[in-house]
Amino acid sequence: MNFFTLLTALIDGLLIGVVYGIAAMGLNLIWGVMRVINLAHGALIAMGMFTVYLLYSNFGLNPYLALLLAAVLGLLMGMLIYFVAIKRVQNAPYLSTLLATFAVNMILIGLGTAAFTTTPRDSGFSIGSLSLGPITLQGTRLVAAFVTLAVTGTLYFFLYRTIPGKHIRAVSNNRAAAELMGIPSVRVMALSFGIGAMLAAIAGALIATFFSFTVLSGDVYQQKSFIIGVLGGLGNPLGALLGGLILGVLEGLLPLAMPNTWVPVIEFGLFIFILLVKPSGLLGGKK
Amino acid sequence: MSILQIKNVDSGYGEVQILWDISLDVQEKQLTALVGGNGVGKTTLLKTIAGLIRPWKGSILFDGKDISRIPAYAKAEMGLVLVPEGRQLFTDMSIQENLEMGATNRRAKPHLKANLEKVYEMFPRLKERMNQKSGTLSGGEQQMLAVARGIMAAPRVLMIDEMSLGLAPVLVLQLFENLRQLRDLGITVVLVEQNVQMALAVSDEGYVIAEGKVEMHGPASDLADNEHVRAAYLGL
Repeated sequence: MNFFTLLTALIDGLLIGVVYGIAAMGLNLIWGVMRVINLAHGALIAMGMFTVYLLYSNFGLNPYLALLLAAVLGLLMGMLIYFVAIKRVQNAPYLSTLLATFAVNMILIGLGTAAFTTTPRDSGFSIGSLSLGPITLQGTRLVAAFVTLAVTGTLYFFLYRTIPGKHIRAVSNNRAAAELMGIPSVRVMALSFGIGAMLAAIAGALIATFFSFTVLSGDVYQQKSFIIGVLGGLGNPLGALLGGLILGVLEGLLPLAMPNTWVPVIEFGLFIFILLVKPSGLLGGKK
Repeated sequence: MSILQIKNVDSGYGEVQILWDISLDVQEKQLTALVGGNGVGKTTLLKTIAGLIRPWKGSILFDGKDISRIPAYAKAEMGLVLVPEGRQLFTDMSIQENLEMGATNRRAKPHLKANLEKVYEMFPRLKERMNQKSGTLSGGEQQMLAVARGIMAAPRVLMIDEMSLGLAPVLVLQLFENLRQLRDLGITVVLVEQNVQMALAVSDEGYVIAEGKVEMHGPASDLADNEHVRAAYLGL
């Protein structure tokens, strides 16, 4: 295996890894603010994929414009899910919210399967590639990584520099105290769930520009989000990005050395290993 | 004039009743102390007033309006603010951010800058550390911040739960002095304290709570002189 193959795989892995990272960030945000594990995350990722795919293949809408629509749709869908399925069971034990989001997942996937079947789709979208000597990188992946970093930066600015963002951090930190300070925690949580779902939809929309997928693909990326969450530490958005990079690199490099089917085995092996040795994640806080 | 009236309130957690037919009358621009031993329901009473717990029965009037069924954040919006027991700071956020969160409500927001200056003047130590995470402060500084965050909400009634708990006496004295300043600025203060002597010494009115009921009430100085209070709570 030559050096440039390795380098290309590494860079490719990093580019895809940040996109995984943003899906994980959504999962992370929802967990951090309301201690809910969102099992509907995969369905929201798939929703992002299909929004881009359908708008591009039917109307020729540029996928990056379609992504904006997918983001808005994700935000609204997330808030809807919060009010319909989460709000009333939120203070019950974890199992209740787990089952609630699982039910939402089944409903969304079921609707998706009824409408679109599980036939594999490919947007067929391309914006060419970038060659640096012997290294060739797909344009869609470069743009996806760039979009992800821009979204992450915006998220950070929102959480740390704006009042609604600080409200999210306050509710996440101490819900009762936030209520006492006049912060309407239910509204803040609905917004947080919306933003988490939006990040899932954005990740899905970006993935649809370079990978083929089916209605069921979201679940695969949801599982990756769990691994990333454990790698980077739950409740830590930057950790999600780091975890995403690690996972991306693994997915880039492992297939060079072994059959593709072994990749999830290694990934989940790592998942269990981290849970055993450093359950708080690599950038582990105390949560 | 009374600004806050509690009328025949029962309250508690789950199946456990803590408060039995409690009635209070808090006068505007006064310092009112609710004193009593450990576990008699003082904190439950404040939580019920602030909206963290719904009263089972009875009513709570603020400025003559019944507010017993509205959520906590809406009460803060009206100017009824609780500084909870155990401080309950936003420990992952800086001092300045904690204070900003205090000024969330619509009445307080326009005065954010002026109120920041006011509390930093009152608690210079907080100003020195404004960018430090509140979780890293000492117990006394955290209590200052909790009170300061409450002031940022531009309260009409500021309720403070167990402010003196675990603090050095000299600091407790200073904080009580700050409360008198607030009262002189026209803020109504309701104080829940286990430190009965100190609380009655600074307050205008006092209520003695025992077993979830009001045992006695009257001018704080009268209570401090009362035989029963002296024997039961002051160890005299």
